Order: sequence, then structure tokens, then C-alpha cells
Amino acid sequence: MSTRWYPIYQKGGPQLRVFLPNFWLKLIKPTTEQPANIVQFSCSMQMTKFDIKNYLEKIYNVNVVDVRTRIAMGKTKPDPGKGYIVKEEDEKIAYITLPKGEVFKFPDLFANEMKPEEERDKALKEAKEGHNKFLEKNKNRPSLPGWFNI
Amino acid sequence: MIAKMNLCRVNNSSTSKLIKVRNFASVLPNEEYTVTPQYPPIQDLSYLKRLERRHEETRESIKDVKTVEEKQIRLNMPKYYGFKSYILSEDYIPYNNLPLIQHVTRTHLIVDKELPEYYRRVYIDELVGKTKADIEEAISIEVEGQKRLHEVIKEDLPIHEVENIFSSSISKQINRIIINNLKKAYPHLLDVQVDNDPRVEACWYAGGMVPPENIKRYREGREWTKEFKDLPTDRLMSYEGKVNLSLRTNAPLPAFVNYSEAENPDFDVPFFKYDPRTVGTKTLHKRIVNVPGFWPGDPNQFGILSYHPRGHLHTRERFNDPQEHKEALHRQGILASFAWLSAQANFLGFNTFNDITYPLANQLVITNGQTWSFYAYQLNTMLMHGKYIEKNPKKNICWATPELKLYDNINNGKVEGFNDDVLKVLLKFYGNKPEKRLGLNMTPYLRHKEKLVADYEDDEQREWLEREYKFLVSNRPRLVEMDEMYHWEKIYKKDHKTRFMDKKLRPFELLKKPQDRTLNDRLGKYIPRALRPGLPRNKGRRAREFWP
Repeated sequence: MSTRWYPIYQKGGPQLRVFLPNFWLKLIKPTTEQPANIVQFSCSMQMTKFDIKNYLEKIYNVNVVDVRTRIAMGKTKPDPGKGYIVKEEDEKIAYITLPKGEVFKFPDLFANEMKPEEERDKALKEAKEGHNKFLEKNKNRPSLPGWFNI
Repeated sequence: MIAKMNLCRVNNSSTSKLIKVRNFASVLPNEEYTVTPQYPPIQDLSYLKRLERRHEETRESIKDVKTVEEKQIRLNMPKYYGFKSYILSEDYIPYNNLPLIQHVTRTHLIVDKELPEYYRRVYIDELVGKTKADIEEAISIEVEGQKRLHEVIKEDLPIHEVENIFSSSISKQINRIIINNLKKAYPHLLDVQVDNDPRVEACWYAGGMVPPENIKRYREGREWTKEFKDLPTDRLMSYEGKVNLSLRTNAPLPAFVNYSEAENPDFDVPFFKYDPRTVGTKTLHKRIVNVPGFWPGDPNQFGILSYHPRGHLHTRERFNDPQEHKEALHRQGILASFAWLSAQANFLGFNTFNDITYPLANQLVITNGQTWSFYAYQLNTMLMHGKYIEKNPKKNICWATPELKLYDNINNGKVEGFNDDVLKVLLKFYGNKPEKRLGLNMTPYLRHKEKLVADYEDDEQREWLEREYKFLVSNRPRLVEMDEMYHWEKIYKKDHKTRFMDKKLRPFELLKKPQDRTLNDRLGKYIPRALRPGLPRNKGRRAREFWP
């Protein structure tokens, strides 16, 4: 399934070897608490429930029991330059039900990255250490400025 | 004191009021003082506790409402245009729905081939042979001996509808045959009222589930509600039944187990904490409707048995899971039993806020003629809103049998492989004799003199209440629909203030909340001038109203 414009094949022309479908699924983190066997996706608007089911089963080998979809309206906002109201694209959201007992946990993608508070604490600690080092270095030379070195 | 003196100088008429107060003070001292000081109970004045006390007070006050119909109107009082309801249809069962239904009906499920021990006292063995021949004949005629309307006009109905049509007619036939054969041995069947395709609807509040996103946002927006933004909210469950046939009498079935068993800690109920919409439940704006298939005042107000179709199971074959198939049946059995009993309890003066004071029992059959499932249900409690979902020790109990086959197949008009045991279970349901509960006030929350609106002597009051009640439960929309905010208004007026110069005329601009309009927020019916002679022009324009 594709709505892309591919060059029409002429005899002797090069074979087009890459097929780019406009079907895609994006795993998204649910905003509301859901049972462990329900997974939320954002998908391309053209996909039907059957497409979503086949996509997951045939490509990813995921056992899909049920698919529910809804179309979420895009947000509106004033255009940054002109000030009139513009609207973002609508989005199709799919809720996939896995068989009973299966558990899906949304992966923590930024587990290794530091949180802002940790980052701040680390910087503060380093600054303190540096200052202590400076004091340690100069403790035998009272009343002399720090730049006064040989 | 100086302030009072000044008041007397300015307005002489207030002097008498002040003096009166002083007089009272001199009369009361003996009654006012006791030897030991008596303080009012200390109340928690936190926002949440005050809110809870206010809710409790209004909910308790429903007990004092005199009649059945008035109680139903009272339940609907907060919303003119209906409540947001979570629709639990009997014939739409999403995947893995049993835990949700057990949670919102507070039901412990016991699946066993045998019915509860209670049924050992019902003897029907000698009646099986007599009934069997008639039932076999009825089945063969229903299956092979006739053409149904959709077959004659060659209408291409989906398979589940075809099965429902068959299920409906076979259950009516079997019911007729069993009553005819058993009525001699069990005379209570002579007084049974049989309803074909009754309308059964019920509504109740269930709590313990996480709040919806909009409620969370609302709570986060106010300083004093921030701390409990994740506190569970109550949701209104609305059951829509699909019943082939129901049987009712003037006395209730005896309880299957002792009422004290309801608090047995061994009976566990799964706790479902998620929003029902996450598992495919739909919502709709509806008024609170409790209809058990008859109107208030019917003497046969206790259900004993109901037949339900199972064609909808064909619509969920895609799940392709035998365990799920069984659970879907149990879900139907539990939901239909609870809802029917709860609607009956509403006609006895109880409701989702005022719990029943004695257990009610029900028997239920789900069948397509060949496959049968049997359910015995005991309603012990109807309290599952707010704190009661955790604190209420009582649970309802449902005994269920797995699917049983009444016969294997039909060959040339002959039923093959007829299973007597299945028929025995069904006959036991009929042999279970309802008994009047002596010495028990069945309607503790109804007024002794006026239990129904029909008991009122004032014609105007009676007619008004009857009309109002029948409209509420009709599920018809209001003549004038709720004011809405058009989409362009939401974008250009509410979300982005691009039209601030427009004249503010629309309800949402005038700080009106049409969704919060109460049931009695309206004028009485207009009485034409000609019908009120002798009164001044501006008097008696509106008819009296009798809000409970």
C-alpha cells in the first residue's frame, strides 16, 4: 500500500528496488493508566484496524487479539509569525490488546540520562571541590591574591 | 453593646428584636446548662471530609423520600440532561471484560458443574421423563419444522441475529412446556407472570477506578484539590438488557446461602482499577433508569428466572480463545443477574446509595436451544460507590455452570443424544419455590401509607409525578437539547480569544453551564388565562410542581 508517485517503468529503465509504503506505527506512552496488556500506537491515517493487526502480526510477530482506533484532533495554535490560528495534523491512535496475561511495559528510553536535578547537584559538587582545592593550595600564603604565582 | 445601642437609635423597630433575644436568654438557663459539659462530635473539617459528609447527607436523605417513583426522580435530580454513563450492554462484550464486571457488581464467581447445595432440596427426578418427550418434540419442530420470517422473505440476516431469533422462540416453547408439566407438582408456577422480551435496564454507581484525565486536570487546577488528584472517582454504570423471557412472582426466592455468608472473607472479588474505557466500554449521556421489565405497583415484583440469548458470541469469534469464550458467558450471567435484581431492588425502595437490608436471589439461563449455561445469583449488597468499594465487607455471589449441551444433533426430526442432566438443572430452577419472608419489612425505606405514586390522593400530584417519572425512564431526549459550544466557537472564542469584540450572547460566554442544570431548574406548565378565572392576571400562571 502506497500513495507515493513512483516513476513509471519503461522498458529498459532501471528497476525500482525500494518500495516505501506509507504505513507506519509509532509506539506512544499512554497518558492514562491502562491494563498491562494494552499497548498504544500512533499510526498513519490510512490504516484500518485490519491493517494494524496484520502489520503487527506479519512484521513483528506480535499476537494481536483486538484493535480499537480513534482519531485524535490536532491541536490549534496561533501562527508564530502571522498570528492567525493554525491547526496541527489529526492523528490516528490505535489501542492494541494483547492476549490475557501478557505484560507490556513502556521502555524507559532515558534511563541512563541524568535528571536536571542530578545534573545541577553534580555541577555544584564539582564547583565546591574546585574551590576547596584552591583554598588548600593557598592555605600557607595568607593575604596573597590567587594570581600571585611564580 | 455600643453597636446595639447605635442600632436602636437609628432604627427604633430593631429595639423589640434585641429585647426579645434578651428575654429568651433569661428563660433558657436551666435547659442550657448540664452538670457535665456536652460537646458536639468533633468533625474533620478538611475539604475532602466535608465533601464526603455532604454527599452522605444527600444520599441518606433519599431514604426519607416516600414512594418508589419519587425516589427515582430524586436520583435524577442533579442533572436535567442526564449523566455521563458507562454503557454495559449485555450483547457487546469486549475482550477480557469479566474482571471489570466482577468489580463493578462486587461479585464472587463460583464455577462448578453442580448448582449450589441449596438445590439438593428440590426433587424433580420423576418429572424429567414426562417433560422430556414434549421438549424433544418442541426442539425438532423449532429446528426443522418451520420457516421463519427472514427465511421466507429471504432476508440475509447475520448469524448472531438468526441465533437470537431461534433462541427467543425456543425458550418460550420450553418455558411453556415446563410450566404445563410442573404446575401440578409445583403450584407456585400457576401464579407466575411470564414476560416476553421484557425491557430491563439498571443504573448504579461504582467506584475504585482511577479518575479520567479531565477530572485530573480539573483537580490539578485548584490549590486545595491538588493533593488528591489521583483519588478514584465514582462512575455511573448503565446496563442495557437483552432478555428473551422472564418469570416473576409475588414472593422472593429464598436466599441460597445465609445472609451472613456475604461477609465471608474467602469470597474474593478482583479489583479493577482502570478506567472502563481502556477496555472498550463506551459512554453516553443518559438519565438514571431502573426498569426490571414491569412498572412499579405490579404485585409480581420478584423475578425468579430469566432466559437470555447468546447470539452475540458469534460477533467475538475473532478472539479465538476458548477460555475467553467461557468468561464472556460468565460476564453476561453476572451482569444480567445483578442488573435485574438491582432494578427490582429499586422498586422495593432501595437504590445504589441505600443498600438492601435482606438478600435477593435470581436464576438465569443463557441458551441457544442446544447449549445451556445456568446461573444462580444472590444479591447481598448494592453499595459499591466511593469508599464502599473497599470498605463494604459484603459481596454478591454467583454460582455458574459451564456450557452444557442439551442434545447432540437433530436427524430427520429426531433429537439425538438428549442429556437428561441438563434438563434436570433447568427443572430444578422451576422447582425452586419462592417464599414470603415472614416478619421482615420488605420495603423499609418506603412510606407505610404511600408506597407508590398511585397511592397519593391529590389528583394533580399523582398525575404530575406519574408523567414526570414515565418521561425520565422513557430514554427520550428533551424537547430542547442541551446548549452546545460549536467547534468554531471553541477554537476562535474559547481556546484562542480572537473575537473578543463580539457581543457575548452564547451560554458559555454568560457563565452558564447547561450540563449542570438540575432537574427542577424549569418553570411549571403554563395555565392559560381562561382556565384560571377569578384570579388576577399575574397569579396562578404556572401549574404546581411536586419535586421530591
